[in-house]
Amino acid sequence: MASDIEIKSFLRKIIENRAEEKSSSWLGQKAEQTESSSSNSTFFLAFSQASRFFKKENLELSTEEKDQARNLAPGFDPSHWDLLQTARTCLLLHFPQEKEKWFTAINQLFETGDMYEQQALYAALPVMPFQEELLSRAIDGCRTNMTLIFDAIALNNPFPAKYFPEANWNQLVLKSIFMQRPLYRIQRLDERRNPALADIASDFAHERWAAGRDVMPELWRLVVPFINEKFVADLKKVLASNAQLEVEAGLLALYGCESEVAKQLLQGHNEEVMAIEYGEITWEKIGRDFQEKKA
Amino acid sequence: MYIDPHIHLVSRTTDDYEAMRKAGIVATIEPAFWLGQPRTEVGSFKDYFSTLVGWERFRASQFGIVHYCTMGLNSKEANNVPLAEQVMELLPLFAGKEGVVAIGEIGYDDQTEAEDRFYRLQLELAKEVNLPVLIHTPHRDKKKGTTRSMDVAEEHQVDPGWVVVDHNNEETVKEVLDRGFWAAFTIYPHTKMGSERMVEIVKQYGPERIIVNSAADWGISDPLAVPKTAHLMRKMGIPEEHVRLTTYQNALTVFGLSGQMDENDWLKAPSIDQTKKLGGNSVLRGGQVPRVEGPADRVEN
Repeated sequence: MASDIEIKSFLRKIIENRAEEKSSSWLGQKAEQTESSSSNSTFFLAFSQASRFFKKENLELSTEEKDQARNLAPGFDPSHWDLLQTARTCLLLHFPQEKEKWFTAINQLFETGDMYEQQALYAALPVMPFQEELLSRAIDGCRTNMTLIFDAIALNNPFPAKYFPEANWNQLVLKSIFMQRPLYRIQRLDERRNPALADIASDFAHERWAAGRDVMPELWRLVVPFINEKFVADLKKVLASNAQLEVEAGLLALYGCESEVAKQLLQGHNEEVMAIEYGEITWEKIGRDFQEKKA
Repeated sequence: MYIDPHIHLVSRTTDDYEAMRKAGIVATIEPAFWLGQPRTEVGSFKDYFSTLVGWERFRASQFGIVHYCTMGLNSKEANNVPLAEQVMELLPLFAGKEGVVAIGEIGYDDQTEAEDRFYRLQLELAKEVNLPVLIHTPHRDKKKGTTRSMDVAEEHQVDPGWVVVDHNNEETVKEVLDRGFWAAFTIYPHTKMGSERMVEIVKQYGPERIIVNSAADWGISDPLAVPKTAHLMRKMGIPEEHVRLTTYQNALTVFGLSGQMDENDWLKAPSIDQTKKLGGNSVLRGGQVPRVEGPADRVEN
């Protein structure tokens, strides 16, 4: 990870290019006070009141800025961030990183934060110091039912894949399915697939079927490396669906499986298989289509 | 469109939220209050305040209702002095948060010395953070308590135009309006005001600085009191503009002084589901029609 000075200056530049002059200079002033003040209240107040100076407008990062972010910290992806949370993250990074004091202040922020403050905090995990010690905080954060906060941890955030033990990781992925969040935005999802998760995902699909409900198509991505008789039976059922998106998901899952049975099941679906080979049907495409359909 | 500027939503069900939305309520203000029994730990206050700016706000958004709140130590619990002192230390942490539109509800209950002390401290806090004040007037010895609340606010040089005096009745309204304060009325089925009496008050005093609310909570109360009263006003021949002022605009005007409440919050509300916005779907509807949330925004539990 780059030094916090580089991250701070990256964020500041992003803000300066987008915010009004008076908002940027307010931030500069508060950042300086946050660094030098002996009491935490300057920092707390500025963290809250940033909402009076910055809007919740998506940053609309350029490709170049996205690349810069990735170079600052592995997987760091603020492409879904808004201006307000960027300003809050900037303030946070200006708070002196002296461990005991830092945790006292940050714990206080987590415990008293409103929805958007918590969103900012969790999304900033990959650029925070003392990350190993923030693991339990992140796991606890996943217990929220507020979509905004859950998304801040689960989506476009390298923290879970890097630090979550398997059981917690599996819970995060399952909760994403349960809350119908876009799985393609979970970082390193393929890499951290595991047999237990594949099993639970299949069980969940059966529960949905038993209740006469649809299954989120992205779910089938999880069973691919562990294909067995049970999963083949599941995917056969998916292929028989009337919904095009589900059929595409079933085929894409089978396409990735190293099994003869899977290859046989692809026969008769030449058109879709071709689309897969041309990169027209991907998990991201399926995830996007599903989210749009849901909306 | 209506605003219910006083309702304790933590005590209400999702059926209430749906009915409110259907009846045309677009925004609500939830004043920090007591929970029907006294709290014994400062942590209970901290979590309650967090709920007001966190979970409850989110819950409301799922039903297409914008949720604001006021922060304060209520008069009943001000009587537990050691606890009240700790709560006072907590308040500055929450007073500056987004969507906090006033310090309240504060004022008198038994009109004790402790109540007086914490009321005054919170008037000072309101001035410091530049927020309006929501005053809860007492049930017992109401008339004198209301007068005293205003006297003390003036003594602390709080602008009456920044103060909403709540739970008025026929006996208190004249003085409140004459002194330049905003007069709010709580419509309760059994106590406080009924809708019929409210109509008479608007007929007599006109719509200026008068605000209708439900103060619905964990007791017998009606979360639809504002729209119901509005309908009755129309039926009784009160001009539409007066209905609009007393059930929508006045609340927006005074609590909007906080800089934390804006009509665009519900007229141009973004979906809570960020993917929608990023998918490029427009959430803006023409004219004065607020966004209607769908079940897609709700989280299964």
